Amino acid sequence: MTRRRALRAGAAVALAAVAYFVWSRWGSDDERVIRERIGALRDEVNRSADGGLAAISRATNIGSYFTEDVVVDLGKGAAPIRGRMTIMGMAERLQPRTAAFRLEFDDVGVEMTRGAATADVTLTASFIRGSQTGEESRDAREFALGLTKAGGTWRIAQVTAIDVLR
Amino acid sequence: MSLRRFVFGAHPRRTLVRVLVLAALSFGMFRWVLMPIRAEGISMLPTYRSGSLNLVNRLAFASTKPSRGDVVAIRLAGPHVLYVKRIIALPGERFSMAQGQAYVNGAPLSEPYVRERRPWDVKEVTLTAREYYVIGDNRGMSASDHDFGRVDVSRIVGKVIF
Repeated sequence: MTRRRALRAGAAVALAAVAYFVWSRWGSDDERVIRERIGALRDEVNRSADGGLAAISRATNIGSYFTEDVVVDLGKGAAPIRGRMTIMGMAERLQPRTAAFRLEFDDVGVEMTRGAATADVTLTASFIRGSQTGEESRDAREFALGLTKAGGTWRIAQVTAIDVLR
Repeated sequence: MSLRRFVFGAHPRRTLVRVLVLAALSFGMFRWVLMPIRAEGISMLPTYRSGSLNLVNRLAFASTKPSRGDVVAIRLAGPHVLYVKRIIALPGERFSMAQGQAYVNGAPLSEPYVRERRPWDVKEVTLTAREYYVIGDNRGMSASDHDFGRVDVSRIVGKVIF
C-alpha cells in the first residue's frame, strides 16, 4: 500500500468515526422531543423554590410531566407511588430535602414503540449531594420509564427502578 | 520559518489527514478499549479514592472470564455512570457474610484489601451461571449506604487496571 493510499484509508476511518458519532445522536422528532422533556423535568426538579406559591408552582410543573395514573416503582420493598397528585404532593412536601440534591440524567436511551404512541426510556439518574468540604457524593440508579403521547404531549406513565446489584 | 509552516507543516493536507487519523484512533481507543473514568464516592476506599482517575480495560474479559479479586466496572443504563466493585464470588458459588467476614462455599475468604470491617451480615445466596457477587473494599461504612450484591455478567464493562 502506498503512502497516499494509507493516508486516504486513514481519512476514511476518521470520517466513518465522525459519521457514527453523528448517527448515534440522531433520532426521530418524537425521540428528540422526549429527550427534551426528560431534560426539562430534570431542570424543574433542580429548580429552587422557597416554599409557599413557588413550591406549589414547582410541584404542579413537575406533575405535568406525568400521566394522571402514573405508577412509580422504586423497588427494594418500597410500595409503589401511584398517581400524579401523589407525586405533586411529595414534590411539594419534600422540597426542603430535595433542594440539597442535584439531579442528573445520563445515558438516556429512547425506543419508540407501537406506532410512536408510546416509548420506552432507560436512563441513569444520579442524585448528587455536595458536602462542606466541596466533595460531592453521587447515588446513581438505573430506571426504566414508559411514556405515552396524548394530546400531542409526551408524559411519563411508568417508572421502574432497575436493581443492577441484587 | 513562518508561523503557518510551523503550525501546519510543509504539507498542510497531510498534516490534516494525520490529525484526523490520530483523532479517530484516540476516539476508538478511549471509547472501546481503554475507557477513562473518575471515581466518585468512598465505597472502594482505600484502594480507589474519590476523585481519582482510572482506566477500564474493556477487552480484559474478551478471552478470559473475570476472576475473584478483579476490580471491575459495572454499567447502569450506559457507560457514563459506572459502579466500580471487586468480584468476591464466582458463578455457581455460594456466598454469605457474617459479622463482616465473607464466606464462599462455606469457607472464610481472605481479603487483604479490606482495612476496616463493620459487622455486615448477608444471608447465603447461590449464584447462577451468569452471576458474580461484587462488593466495594470499604467495609467500614454502613452496609445500607453501600451498593453491593449479585450482578449479571452482561453488566460487567471491563477491568479497572489503573
